[in-house]
Amino acid sequence: MAAAPLLSIRGLTKQFDKLEVLKGVDLALAPREVVSIIGSSGSGKTTLLRCVNLLEEFQGGEIVLDGEAIGYRTVGGKRRRLGDRELSRQRAMTGMVFQSFNLFPHLSALGNVMLGLRKVRRLGRDEARAIAETWLDRVGLATRGDHYPSQLSGGQQQRVAIARALAMNPKLVLLDEVTSALDPELVQEVLNTVKSIADDGATLLIVTHEMRFARDVSSRVVFMEQGQIAEDGPPAEIFGAPRNPRLAEFLRNTRT
Amino acid sequence: MELFDSFLQQLWIAREALWHGFMLTVGISVASIVFGTLLGCVVALQLTYAPLLLRLPFRIYVDLMRGTPVLVLILASFYIPAVIGLSLSATEAGILALSLFAGAHIGELGRGALQAIPPGQIEAGRSIGLTFPKLLAYVLVPQALRAALPPWINTGVELIKGSSLLSIIGVGELLLKTQEIIGRNFMTIEFYVFAGVLYLIVNIALDQFGKSVERRMSAR
Repeated sequence: MAAAPLLSIRGLTKQFDKLEVLKGVDLALAPREVVSIIGSSGSGKTTLLRCVNLLEEFQGGEIVLDGEAIGYRTVGGKRRRLGDRELSRQRAMTGMVFQSFNLFPHLSALGNVMLGLRKVRRLGRDEARAIAETWLDRVGLATRGDHYPSQLSGGQQQRVAIARALAMNPKLVLLDEVTSALDPELVQEVLNTVKSIADDGATLLIVTHEMRFARDVSSRVVFMEQGQIAEDGPPAEIFGAPRNPRLAEFLRNTRT
Repeated sequence: MELFDSFLQQLWIAREALWHGFMLTVGISVASIVFGTLLGCVVALQLTYAPLLLRLPFRIYVDLMRGTPVLVLILASFYIPAVIGLSLSATEAGILALSLFAGAHIGELGRGALQAIPPGQIEAGRSIGLTFPKLLAYVLVPQALRAALPPWINTGVELIKGSSLLSIIGVGELLLKTQEIIGRNFMTIEFYVFAGVLYLIVNIALDQFGKSVERRMSAR
């Protein structure tokens, strides 16, 4: 990794009450890298993503995005969570796509994509609309702009959610099990969309249970186990010659 | 027929008193709904999002109001300010009581509507960088309004009916005016039924208005 990392996570720890979910995670992403995180449920994958998007607080370590430490500031030796305004600004630097889409049901597809452009990036109506239309077209939904989420299939909703995240022009896109809530026949259209934005050079951090997809799309795959990164390498190595015995076992159990 | 003619005749004589009573009922109700809604919005936000210590006084207020008969609230609003040296007219005291009552109910139903929004909505709004006030304005409140509209209309109907209790403290609204008219012409049944029909018309109109807004909202 020659380029300066876009995202650098160092010694990240996170507890829910007494339960230690992340036990010192170190991970770096170079610009345009696509990294998939695999591992069994409860290994801390999703929590790690949510820490990067500041949807979760974390107790130790640091996350540096594009040179800026996010979420906390140390004042006089005391670590303090940033205020609403700063957290919001930093959250806008990353885009997040959720397992359950989380589209705004009271807004049309176009309205969903435009909201952040209008209210966070403060673009004018016409400019925001043009960008939103470009992105809906990009995910293959140019004709569905005035449909409301309830009028769209799961796969279409998830593609709108991808457009909503990418339209904000984030430095890093986080995808959290984006196909887990979909009917099997709708999975591929969403994976194809993710693949095409990866090919366009977006930096992606993906949590997924789709092993074949992780192998195809990723430049690196990370295996998480009990709140730590157990193995980190190119997909051919992770899937072809796993060194960690738990990873080998995990792959045997998930192989379809 | 003769009875009906004499009722019409009495109605004509009483038309102005009835009109004033009716307008006062409508005015008091509208004022209480407006003040109660403003208060209710603040209460709902505090109950839903404020930390425990800030939330507590609002919780106490809501439970106090909801656990007290409206008539007792009206009497309290009429007598307590006088004791502490505030002079409120009967109408003002009545509006105060009904607004406090409505504020508690609207606060509670607003809390319910806000809490019913899936947490994923907050996360999605957060993830695109909305600050909390913007998240409220563009994501949470629009969704809560839909859920809160039917019970809000109900509260309005309760207020219109509840305004008749103000006759107790001498507010010349529709019921008190009706009683005064009956005191002159002794047409008890006729004028009570007439007043009842007027309340019914206003309430049905409000209900229909609510239903039509609801239909328009759910059309999407």
